[in-house]
Amino acid sequence: MGAMEGSLFEEANFFRAIADSGARALLIGRRALIALGIPVLTVDYDFWLHIDDIASFNAAIEPSGLYPTHTPEEARTRGRYVAENDERVDVLVARSVPTVDGIHVAFDDLWPRRRGLEVAAGVVLAVPALPDLILTKRLGGRPKDFEDIRLLEALRREDGP
Amino acid sequence: MKRLETPSPAALAGALALSERRLTAEEARAALAVPMGEAEENESRSLIRWFRRRYPTPAARLAYARRAYRRWASARPVAPPGTTG
Repeated sequence: MGAMEGSLFEEANFFRAIADSGARALLIGRRALIALGIPVLTVDYDFWLHIDDIASFNAAIEPSGLYPTHTPEEARTRGRYVAENDERVDVLVARSVPTVDGIHVAFDDLWPRRRGLEVAAGVVLAVPALPDLILTKRLGGRPKDFEDIRLLEALRREDGP
Repeated sequence: MKRLETPSPAALAGALALSERRLTAEEARAALAVPMGEAEENESRSLIRWFRRRYPTPAARLAYARRAYRRWASARPVAPPGTTG
């Protein structure tokens, strides 16, 4: 399983392959914050993927040298998996996830409200609407997620209604 | 003047554990209830405006972030706490 093939990774190609795959994938996490205009540091990519689109997503990212840690069947059971090489992609595939304070957030509710962002020349990826992205930050429940929520709230005020 | 020493692996592990721990529901509600003060809002919005002005497209921002992380990582033996997600 190509453990040291990191040189295959090129971000624009990675994003383009996902966009072209037709997989319903939302870019979440800090990489989404950065794309929207918040300068934070991150090492990985986070996606929330429709549970039926695992195989197409995996096929799309394999040419970038990224290999899943679990089969689609295992991932469906676990609700998440990782695709990695010298890059790391955390993939959430649960249909619904509770926030740390008990609100259930469902992929099928977020997907129709998504917005498109041109993340590379001619490549548009989906990110959650801003209020939904804030909600996804409450799924992690770590101190830094709540710091990010404050930055996202500032972004929301900056952009206005 | 005493030379600044690299934190021990145990100290780094402790910092990582703190940054990655999951808050309780009560702690989360308390964090969300803290209102954003004027100074915090102004500072955050100023940072966002600078970043968007300097890197006007999502693609440019993402490219900057990759460069910034590479610079950070090359200067440190382990990934800094709080850089996942």
